[in-house]
Amino acid sequence: MLLEVRDLRVEFRTRDGVAKAVNGVSYAVDAGETLAVLGESGSGKSVTAQAVMGILDTPPGRIGAGEILFKGRDLLKLKEEERRKVRGAEMAMIFQDALSALNPVLSVGDQLGEMFVVHRGMSKKDARARAVELMDRVRIPGAAQRVRDYPHQFSGGMRQRIMIAMALALEPALVIADEPTTALDVTVQAQVMDLLAELQRDYRMGLILITHDLGVVADVADRIAVMYAGRVVESAPVHDIYKAPAHPYTRGLLDSIPRLDQKGKELYAIKGLPPNLMNIPPGCAFNPRCPMAQDVCRTDEPPLYEVDRHRGSACHFWRECLNG
Amino acid sequence: MVDGVVEPILEVSGLVKYYPLTQGILIKKQIGAVKAVDGVDFALDKGETLGIVGESGCGKSTVAKMLVNLERPTAGSIRYKGEDITKLSGRALKTVRRNIQMVFQDPYTSLNPRMTVGDIIGEPYEIHPDAVPKGDRRKRVRELLDVVGLNPEYINRYPHQFSGGQRQRIGIARALALRPEVIVADEPVSALDVSVQAQVINLLDRLQNDFDLSYVFIAHDLSIVRHISDRVGVMYLGRIVEIGKDEEIYGHATHPYTQALLSAVPVPDPEARARRERIILSGDVPSPTNIPSGCRFRTRCWKAEERCALEVPLLAVPAVFRLAPGPAAHDSACHFAEEKRVVPPEEQAPGVLDDLGNGGA
Repeated sequence: MLLEVRDLRVEFRTRDGVAKAVNGVSYAVDAGETLAVLGESGSGKSVTAQAVMGILDTPPGRIGAGEILFKGRDLLKLKEEERRKVRGAEMAMIFQDALSALNPVLSVGDQLGEMFVVHRGMSKKDARARAVELMDRVRIPGAAQRVRDYPHQFSGGMRQRIMIAMALALEPALVIADEPTTALDVTVQAQVMDLLAELQRDYRMGLILITHDLGVVADVADRIAVMYAGRVVESAPVHDIYKAPAHPYTRGLLDSIPRLDQKGKELYAIKGLPPNLMNIPPGCAFNPRCPMAQDVCRTDEPPLYEVDRHRGSACHFWRECLNG
Repeated sequence: MVDGVVEPILEVSGLVKYYPLTQGILIKKQIGAVKAVDGVDFALDKGETLGIVGESGCGKSTVAKMLVNLERPTAGSIRYKGEDITKLSGRALKTVRRNIQMVFQDPYTSLNPRMTVGDIIGEPYEIHPDAVPKGDRRKRVRELLDVVGLNPEYINRYPHQFSGGQRQRIGIARALALRPEVIVADEPVSALDVSVQAQVINLLDRLQNDFDLSYVFIAHDLSIVRHISDRVGVMYLGRIVEIGKDEEIYGHATHPYTQALLSAVPVPDPEARARRERIILSGDVPSPTNIPSGCRFRTRCWKAEERCALEVPLLAVPAVFRLAPGPAAHDSACHFAEEKRVVPPEEQAPGVLDDLGNGGA
């Protein structure tokens, strides 16, 4: 396994109390594989990724327990200097909002080239040449001329390509993309996702795609981990999950998407709201919103049951859910 | 659905909004214009939902602002029950405004954080004091909270005590306060989580039946627009390029831009993905300060020919379909309009599939 997150726990200390953002997340990605992490805001999907990258703000954040094994090494045991060598060179991140992730007062060529100067000790001139190559690789038209331009001179789609170029600069083994196309229009979204999938194939990197969009997931992922209230509630190969979800939350999400063949009917809506992370319900965190909840769900937290060799579900009644 | 005899409740024709671009500080000189909306026509019937889809910068939000008179159009008219509201001012405008209300996109910034929910929903009554007598207003606000599915006891809470979905319900209650006939909703669910989106869409659906509302529903999410709309208009760079009943647009699109949009929508079904054709458009939307000549979509269109650069295509039923009545015979602004199946037949409603015969590629 390229990356294995084991029972990770992250909490944030705030004025109002302790918010338990991540409560025992485990997932794994292999080289060349795409894992989609699906969840709504507050489900802990981005916080987990930040912990993996080592860019979590501590304090207020605190990693309570768990292991992050990258190529067999536990990243949480590394010193910050060693961690810095991993970050950027071996794992990289693509952020949602390219405009705020790029430095507005440096040209894109300088920002791309910086990767080679800092990590590879190249001269500025060589780094600039590599930057042009990279911009070509992510298909930015007229790369040689545009290398001197600043981020604001690019459109949203082009900026996201620059983010991708920067993440891939040192050919990392793992890339984490946090909602890479959410800020983009549909037609541009398709261009960027295609580019990302193509580059992933070429470089055989592991990709963690964080998203809330079930449609984007279906298009590119091999496996899905569905998160709710800081836990993975279902983990499965992409085809299985769309065919028959084994957790009522996954089922609810799939059913609440408007479908072309069910027009005019009322949409299925998961009742209620996601839980407050300072006060997660006892038992299964989803029980107050779950149509299948029984007494046991209010008292016993379900473990991640093994549905089959490739699949897990954190629901006491996964069998009933699987059979509809 | 469209009767023809009944006058539409809202009729927009030749709507244009240019924002001037100026140079110089003391002596301002106009050097150009952002052509945000550049000739939009549509009609909204009573009790109908018209969906408007388009990418960012296509002018759909500017259209919404003009409909509720937050922006004055540069040219064109907006007729509400036959009366041109763009020419009104003072008392006459105030009366019309009561009947056309708006639901905003961002429930976090569209509610005043220092006002209680009761004051927010009741504020329209301060501006239109004759709507409800003073003594009954609190009672009416409680009723409105109940109508949108919030606990009437929350009347003294502040916006920050609510979640995004609940805040959007507050925004909807405020829009309903004056019992309007038309509601313009600009991306009302795009800031919400998936599980909450469905709740708000169902609420809007129910309110439409209960209060006999007409909606202009603006969004970029094509599947949500299809779910709620009777008719759909597709905008590109300040103009409507195709408009028709929902199955005409979703099952029988004839404009290449609509086809590209439909093919780009991510479908939550990995098997449908393999069956369908993806049209990936090259490039970005041109700047609205410098709109291409002729057909404004031609710079990204795979069908573009010389004629497209010279001649502006009109929004009308294309000649090829004019003689053959059918779902493809709807307004489409393309010189080379033709049907192209981009969404596989399995995803279509059964009825839609039948009238196309054997489907095609």
